[in-house]
Amino acid sequence: MTQPPTSVVNPSIPERPPASPARTRTSRGTTVAVLAVVAVGATLVAGIGLGARDISPLEVVRILLHPGEQAFDTHVLWTERIPRTFLGLAVGAALGAAGLVMQALTANPLADPGVLGVEQGASMFVVLGIMLLGVTDTGDYFWLALLGASVTATLVHLIGTRTDAGSSAVGLVLAGVALAAVMSSLITLLVVRDKEAFFHLRFWSVGQLTGRAEVLGRLLPFVLVGLLLALPLGRTLNILGLGDDTARALGVRVERARLTAAAVAVLLCAAATAAVGPVAFVGLVAAHCARLLVGPDHRWSLPVSMAAGAVLLTGADTAGRLVLDHGEVQVGLMTAVIGTPFFVWLARRRDLVRM
Amino acid sequence: MTPLGLRPPKPDAPATPAVVARLRADRRARDRRAALTGGVLTAALLGLTTASVLLGGVGRLDPADVLPAAFGLRDGLADYTIFQLRMPRALSALLAGALFGLAGSLYQRLIRNPLATPDIVGISAGAGAGAATALFYAPAAFALGVPVAAVIGSFVLVAAVQGLSWRGGVDTYRLVLVGIGLSAVCTAYTNYLFLAADRQSLAIALRWTVGTTNDADWDGVTTLAVGFAACALAALLLARPLATLTLGDGFAAGLGTRVTATRVGVLLVGAAAAALATSVVGPIGFVSLVSGPVAVRLVGTERSTLLAPATGAVIVLGADVLAQHAPLISPVPTGVLTALLGAPYFVWLILRRRQGAS
Repeated sequence: MTQPPTSVVNPSIPERPPASPARTRTSRGTTVAVLAVVAVGATLVAGIGLGARDISPLEVVRILLHPGEQAFDTHVLWTERIPRTFLGLAVGAALGAAGLVMQALTANPLADPGVLGVEQGASMFVVLGIMLLGVTDTGDYFWLALLGASVTATLVHLIGTRTDAGSSAVGLVLAGVALAAVMSSLITLLVVRDKEAFFHLRFWSVGQLTGRAEVLGRLLPFVLVGLLLALPLGRTLNILGLGDDTARALGVRVERARLTAAAVAVLLCAAATAAVGPVAFVGLVAAHCARLLVGPDHRWSLPVSMAAGAVLLTGADTAGRLVLDHGEVQVGLMTAVIGTPFFVWLARRRDLVRM
Repeated sequence: MTPLGLRPPKPDAPATPAVVARLRADRRARDRRAALTGGVLTAALLGLTTASVLLGGVGRLDPADVLPAAFGLRDGLADYTIFQLRMPRALSALLAGALFGLAGSLYQRLIRNPLATPDIVGISAGAGAGAATALFYAPAAFALGVPVAAVIGSFVLVAAVQGLSWRGGVDTYRLVLVGIGLSAVCTAYTNYLFLAADRQSLAIALRWTVGTTNDADWDGVTTLAVGFAACALAALLLARPLATLTLGDGFAAGLGTRVTATRVGVLLVGAAAAALATSVVGPIGFVSLVSGPVAVRLVGTERSTLLAPATGAVIVLGADVLAQHAPLISPVPTGVLTALLGAPYFVWLILRRRQGAS
């Protein structure tokens, strides 16, 4: 077998030449942050106001002011749309943050919780727990997902940084794809003979937000903890981006810092997956949007990436509810369709794949 | 040595008789080895087919009835089980595996990267999406509708993958990445089609996203047999020009090969082979990826295109027998097992080679 000519990149050498950390001007950052808040607000309003069932805006306001009524529209709003929208915002923010942290840690513009297979691994452990251990509590899903995400992230890192695939960016993606294939096959293997579980998990396994009112209450704390832990990482990520030697010279304990950031990213992936199932490409797109808006300064791009992820996921979910006359398109499918052009565009970049 | 499938130099070339004798002996040894391996694979295929038909997975059959029924001595249920359920299943697994193996081997030799096979770069997923579209929107269409739609879907994907990864030349890893992306869209689309449908179509959805031989029938076997004959013929015609391409485009053109035509031809024949197999058994993953390199290891690059289909057939048929009988896990869709066997191999392929090994 002829081996392709490849340039082996030593992972210990940073792929970009060390440069002084790019700083985002406060004025620009503030403008973008205000815009992001407005966008999140608009998505929130759209998520609550729009849906398969036509409820007029005035009626929506009235129902919001009178939560206790016994009308069908009230029920739809308070048990379906509102929890679903908030869940979408929280999970989207988690995925956006996880995507950005993963991209910063691996210096890999293609990194994403879904592309690297971490979400599939988390799902597999949840399904394993449901099928073999009889886990039914939604809160326990999180711990299973955390275990699965940690195992998968470790494996992808171990394989991806030892590949011969032109660059470590490509190697990580290939390792992620292979592990995702193994994990989703194992899920099918576990559930295929149980018709009820299969029907239930099949929807969950493509990622969706439907019928998750009770999930919000159980998993929101985990997501929020993850987001709070992620927020102060911006400065660390900036310094790590200078290369390990420079970071060490600046007094950062590199291994510990990397491990902390990775652990937070894994926690965010696990919480997101436990809540809605694997949703790929949200982190990827959110992180790139954030960097396009505020540049590579992670102190700004991290919160902006959270906002972008929240807007993207909730927006995709709302759009998925509207595109069909009956029923809806699962949000995981919508984000795949939205995210792939982005992925392909990135894959075409000359500096990613060395000729 | 003849690494490229070209004949050794003619005796009037400047080579000593001793060298020519060495070359001939070497060639004969390789031929013998290829023939032996081919024989072993054929025996394995016969054995697996027999096992698949006799053991079965579909239809309960009194063990005492199996053998007589297989020789046509029983009517009714036993006859139906053997000839309408088990035989089509075994034959579709065999033929689909052969088509996947052929497709993978063609792509690997053309693109010269073991990862660039139809299942990895999304061509099987595109075929699955095409087939699912035909099935969903025109369920009453004549039997040819699904294979034709699958082939169209795969051609669209080939064009898209090539076009999108073109940037003053096609880098193989960019091709693989773009293919992975497009594969995700196709799978999302197929999932969407069937998730929008009702409970009954779940089994069908599984077939079009994972791949299984559960619903095999004689129509499918006919499609696969005709498809395999056509694709194998085309592959034979393309074998010589493809071998010259290995020398580099300039060299190949100098030897009289029509480079672009050969390239397009190989891409389309490979895609059609993968698509036809997909249209009957679904996008069974990792078979095209694994069969080529295994065949190369068995008999060397030169003759691997001949043996890759046999290797693929053994893999799918073996996985199918396992899928029906393996303790604890059976029955599962065949594609699950090929993925579980193939993905670790994929990982092994991308891992960095030791220093010194090529």
